[in-house]
Amino acid sequence: MSAADLARLAERPPAASGAAAYRQFPTAWRFAVRNQTRNRLAGLLLVAFVPAWYLLMLAIAGHTPLRFRLYSTGQVLTVDSGHLTLISAGLNSLTIIVGFAVFAAIRKTLAFDKRLVFAGYQHATLIAAKTCAIALLATAVALYTAAVLLAFWRPSPAGWLAILAGYTAMALTYGALGLLLGVLVNNDLEGFFLIIMGGLMDTFLQNPLGNPLANKPVLEWFPSFGPMQFATGGSLGHTALWGHLALGLAWAAAFAAAGLIIFRIRTRTRGSCPA
Amino acid sequence: MTAMAGPVLEARDVHKAYGRHQVLTGADLVAERGQLVAVVGENGSGKSTLLKILAGALAADRGEVRLTGALGYCPQDPVVNENLTVDQHLRYFGAAYRLPSLQRADTLVDLLGFGQYRQETVGALSGGTRQKLNLTLALLHDPDVLLLDEPYQGFDWETYLRFWDVVADLRSRGKAVVIITHLVFEQERYDLLADLAGGRLTHRAPATEESRVSS
Repeated sequence: MSAADLARLAERPPAASGAAAYRQFPTAWRFAVRNQTRNRLAGLLLVAFVPAWYLLMLAIAGHTPLRFRLYSTGQVLTVDSGHLTLISAGLNSLTIIVGFAVFAAIRKTLAFDKRLVFAGYQHATLIAAKTCAIALLATAVALYTAAVLLAFWRPSPAGWLAILAGYTAMALTYGALGLLLGVLVNNDLEGFFLIIMGGLMDTFLQNPLGNPLANKPVLEWFPSFGPMQFATGGSLGHTALWGHLALGLAWAAAFAAAGLIIFRIRTRTRGSCPA
Repeated sequence: MTAMAGPVLEARDVHKAYGRHQVLTGADLVAERGQLVAVVGENGSGKSTLLKILAGALAADRGEVRLTGALGYCPQDPVVNENLTVDQHLRYFGAAYRLPSLQRADTLVDLLGFGQYRQETVGALSGGTRQKLNLTLALLHDPDVLLLDEPYQGFDWETYLRFWDVVADLRSRGKAVVIITHLVFEQERYDLLADLAGGRLTHRAPATEESRVSS
């Protein structure tokens, strides 16, 4: 090492201050988004899986008339079974894609996040950045899934917006569940199994075509109940069930709160280490 | 080298067990300004556990750890994010340490010889280059106490020598450096060797080249 190298190394950096070159929130936000969007497998799933899943489900369901009672209003609707199945298929694909993407990204970076906290990153800043990144990803995936739906079915503009809102609530819920499982479970298989099986059971049971019992009260306690009711009511029943949309968002908030509390516990340090 | 007075790291009577398995049973360690200390032990002797406790990354069951000044901690396995580039890591940790510039990061990257990988994602880097980044992240804020867990694993000879240049610079500026290793080469580099066995540390002065020849 040359004398010049040593001299450069010995230059003490100015003390940490509010005038840091990189502010904590914008830096954490940018890299949290990048971390979420670098998952190529999830990206491929998103682009290819959504239209393939719609196509397959539509081929199975066909376009027969289906009479069912919208649980929230008691209204008996006669709808195209294919349309109902498309909504259910969209919700189902969101559970897998968003849940999987968030789970994988959170789980892979847990030790790294702990090191960042150890080095002086504010917990609240990291948590806020992660939450915003997950919300952005979930909203973008919901928008794409709702847009692809238009290739198979053209509901009214208000109906499509209701489906988009239901999809967004569903994506946020499973993004938050991915966060919770990412900080909670001890290996990848457990997390993937819970997301895939949970998402399948949750959304399949809400569709009266797949499940003749789809109007049983027990279904109210499933995370996809609110989004499914809001999307179906808005697009097929011409009703805006705002309370059910709020119910879907409450699931998202509950999963996120639980996940972020566990994240804080798992990344905490003893507190005796000045960074 | 003349060490300045006053311990910057002091661990007393540290105990730690995992279930019924006692790992540390009263370990004591003191490092003073400008001192280079090696904690030496066999695989599974509890070295990494001790370092995590010293760093505050793990709570001891009993005992006390006192630390003065800023701490740098380099874990044994590189704790990095495979999706981010080297530069992004430097910016991320620059924000964590609230550094006003990344000038020191630039210098360290040049010295450890991995400047050509700055735009590469870490997932594409070799184990040795990841280890260089791992070390750089611990040194970024010019800490007063540096805890290094097997820091030169995977380094080539040139990088190994540069690593010791960096350590020599830190010591000359009064920084304390604690290195955990299972094999200690070149004992004369150290001010103090602490053997970890049976959950306790036994201190000894390093054997110099001359003493080894005479014995």
